[in-house]
Amino acid sequence: MSEKLTSRQLSKKITDEYMDEAFRAHELGKLIGYTTAISPVELFVAHDVIPIYPENHSVANLTAKKGVELCSVVEGMGYSSHLCAYARSDFGYRATGATVTKGIPEPDLFLACNAQCFTLTKWFQVLARKGNLPVFIFDTPEYVMDKKTRQEIVKYCVIQLKELISFLEEITKKKFDYDRFGEVMRLSAESSILYKKFLDMAQYKPSPISIFDALIGMAIAVYRRGTQECVDYYQTLCDEIQAKVDQGIGVLPKDKEKYRLYWENLPVWFKFSDHAKLLGSYGGVILTSLYVHAWSFEFDLTKDPLLTLAENMVSRFSNSTIEDRADMATELFRKYDMNGMIMFMNRSCKAVSFAVPTLKDVLTKRTGIPALVFESDMGDQRFYSESQIRTRIEAYFETLDRLHLNKV
Amino acid sequence: MWESLSLKEVVDCANDPYPSIRQWVRDTGKKVVGSTIADVPEEVIHAYGFLPVALVGTQKPLKKAPAKLPDNACSLARSNLELAMSYEGDLFDGFVLPQVCDTTQHLSDIWRINFPDKYVESFLAPRQADRPSARYWVKEEIDRLIASLAGWTGRTIKDHDLQESIKVFNESKALLKDIYAIKRKNPAAVTNKEMFAMIKLSMQVDKAEFNQSLKKIRDGLDPNGKAEGYTDVIVVGITCDPLEIFDLFDEIKINIAGDSLVTGTRYLQGIVPENGGAVDALAARHFQRGFYSPIHDDVFRNFEEVKVLYKATNAKAAVYVHIEFCESEEYDLPDLKKMIRKEGIPIHVVDTEYQTTSLSHVRTRLQAFFESLRGGAL
Ligand code: SF4
Ligand code: SF4
Repeated sequence: MSEKLTSRQLSKKITDEYMDEAFRAHELGKLIGYTTAISPVELFVAHDVIPIYPENHSVANLTAKKGVELCSVVEGMGYSSHLCAYARSDFGYRATGATVTKGIPEPDLFLACNAQCFTLTKWFQVLARKGNLPVFIFDTPEYVMDKKTRQEIVKYCVIQLKELISFLEEITKKKFDYDRFGEVMRLSAESSILYKKFLDMAQYKPSPISIFDALIGMAIAVYRRGTQECVDYYQTLCDEIQAKVDQGIGVLPKDKEKYRLYWENLPVWFKFSDHAKLLGSYGGVILTSLYVHAWSFEFDLTKDPLLTLAENMVSRFSNSTIEDRADMATELFRKYDMNGMIMFMNRSCKAVSFAVPTLKDVLTKRTGIPALVFESDMGDQRFYSESQIRTRIEAYFETLDRLHLNKV
Repeated sequence: MWESLSLKEVVDCANDPYPSIRQWVRDTGKKVVGSTIADVPEEVIHAYGFLPVALVGTQKPLKKAPAKLPDNACSLARSNLELAMSYEGDLFDGFVLPQVCDTTQHLSDIWRINFPDKYVESFLAPRQADRPSARYWVKEEIDRLIASLAGWTGRTIKDHDLQESIKVFNESKALLKDIYAIKRKNPAAVTNKEMFAMIKLSMQVDKAEFNQSLKKIRDGLDPNGKAEGYTDVIVVGITCDPLEIFDLFDEIKINIAGDSLVTGTRYLQGIVPENGGAVDALAARHFQRGFYSPIHDDVFRNFEEVKVLYKATNAKAAVYVHIEFCESEEYDLPDLKKMIRKEGIPIHVVDTEYQTTSLSHVRTRLQAFFESLRGGAL
C-alpha cells in the first residue's frame, strides 16, 4: 500500500491530473468551459464539461511577476492600463504565448457569473469573438437586503440555471443527468464544509494558518469542487492543520502573535511572501478575508439542488450589499478575535474595491479598530510603491502598538 | 418654468438645470427623485407625482466624492456622487440607481449609506438580454420599483396613472425625434449643441411643460429646409459631456446626422407602446431600444448597428465618445475600432471626462480628424 500523501502532494497530483485531462479534453470527448472563479460549476462537472479558470492561470503569471511584461503587450494593442490585471495578463498570454505554466487549453464555451464581477463577462466576450464561441451570462443581481426581493432574485437565478442546463444540453447534444448532478452537489457540499473548517482553524491561538495558507489552500475548492478528490484533499488538509493545533504550532509562536489581522480584497500576488515576512516581523499575522471565504459554500442538500446552488451564488460577499459585507466581516472579527485590518484598494478589481472606502468607514466605526488603507494593484507592479507601502505598514503597527500599550 | 424656452435658453438651462428645478420645486411643492441614466423606467417615478431627474454629472469640481470612489472610477459615477454630496443633494428626496457594471456594482449601497435620510432604491436591470429570463426579470424589477415607491410614499398608482405618464414621456421623445429629423437635413436650423441640449434637458425637467417648448421649437422650423456645406458624421458612445464638445462640431460645420448615445437617440428610442398593460409595455421597451449597450451586447452587435446607422445617414465618419475609465467601453473598443476601420469607415475616438476644464486637446485632435476627412474623399 502506498503511503498517504500530504495535502501538498495531493494538491499537486490533483492539479496535474486535472490539467492533463483538460489538455486531452477533446480526445476524451469532453468540452472545455471557461468560467469565473465564483460560478455554479457543479453543472459543468455533472455534464462532463471541464472547467478552466483563466483567472487562476493569470494568478500564476502575476505571482511570478510577469504582470508588467504581459500587460504592456496588451496596452500596445489598445487596452487601457486600468483594466483588471487578470484580464490584461490573459490577453497578453494569448498574444505572446508567454506563461510560467504550461498554459491552458483553448475554450469551447464560456460561463460568466457576475456575482463576482462584470469584468469577466467583458473579458470572456473578447475571447469568445475570436472563435465566435457561445457565452452564457449567469446574471446575479445584487443580493439586496429586502427578504422578498431576495426570494425573487433567487427565483430568477434558478430560472437561469435551468436555461444554463438547456444551453449545455444543446451544445453537447447530451441530456443533463440530474442524478449525477445530485451526487456532484453532495460532494461539493462536503468539500465546502471541510474547506470552511480549514479556514476557521485560524480561530486558534496561535493561529496555525495565515491567509497565505488559505490562498494556497483555496485553489482546489475553486477548480475541483464536486469531486471525491476535492473532499479527500480538504480532509487531509484539515487533519494536518489539526495536528499543528494539537501541538500548539502557530504561524508565529504564541508569544509573538500580537496582531491578528483581517485583510480586505484579493492579495497583492507578487508580494505574497514578502508581505507575510514583513507583517510577521511586527508580530502580525493576517488570518482571513471575505475573499477566501467566497468558496465556503453552505449547500443545503435538503433543498432542490438548483435552489441551494442559486442561493449560494447570489449571497457571495462580492454580490452582497456593503452593509451585509460589513456584517460578514464583523462576524469574522468576532470569531477569529482579530485586532487589526488591512484594507487593500486594488486598482484591478473595481467590483470589490469601490466598496472598500465605505466598508472601511462602517467597519472601523463598528469595531473601534483602526484600519490601514493602501492603494495598489494585485498584479501590475507599476502601481506598487515599495517604500510608500512599507512606511504605511510601519506607521500602522506603531498605531496598533500605541493602542495596545494603552489597553495594557 | 420650461414651457416657452427658445433654443438658446434651452442650451443655457441644460448647462445647469438645477436653479430652474429648484424654482419649480418651490412653485409646485413637488418632490424630486434622481436616477442615473441606465434604463430606469422614469415613467414609474413620474406616475407617483415626482419629478424624475436624470443624473448626468456636473462640471463643478470634485471635493467629497474622491474619498468614496477612487480616481480609476469613471468620471460619470464620481461626478454624479459629487453632484449629490456637495451641490444639489438637498434638492432630491430620493434616488433610484441601476446596477450595470463593476463601477455601479455597489453604487446604490454607497449612496444609501451616504444619504441615510433619503429614499435610495436600486434598479437591478438584467445584464443579459437574449434569454426569456431577462424579460421575466425586467418585469419583476419594474413591479418591485412600483411596490417600493408605494411603500415609501404610502400611495398606490393604477395602470391609468402609468399610462398618463407614458403618454407625456412618449410625446416628448416624439417631438425630439421630429426636431432631430429636421436638424439632420437642415443643420443650419438647429445646431448639434442645441439638439443634444434639448434631449439632455428633457431628461431632467417636467416633460409636460417642456413639451410645450419643444412643440413651439418644432413648429418654428422649416421641415423642408436644407443647408449646404456640412459634413455628416455619426456619434457613438454613452454620453457626450460637456455640451461644449458639440461646439467643436458646430464651429466647422460638422453635422451629427445620427448617434447611439444614451443621452441621445438611444433615449429617444424609448417610446413605450401605448396599447396593453403599462408594466408589460415598459418591460417590452427595455428590449426595444435598438442601439447597442456595452452592458448587454457584444461588439458584433455594436458594429452592425454602427454600420447601419452610418449607411442610413450617409455619414462620412464615426466619432466614438469614450468616457475615461469606463471599463464597459474599454473592453470593446480595440476590436470595435478594428472592425469599423476594416469596413472602411473613418473613426475617431474622443476621450472625455466630466470635470474637464479645457477642451483644447480634444479640439486639436477632432479638428485634425475633420480636416483629414474633408481633404479626403469628400
Ligand atoms: S480581480 Fe476583480 S475584476 Fe478582476 S476578474 Fe477578479 S473579481 Fe473580476
Ligand atoms: S457603464 Fe461606464 S460610464 Fe456607465 S457607470 Fe459604468 S463605467 Fe461609468
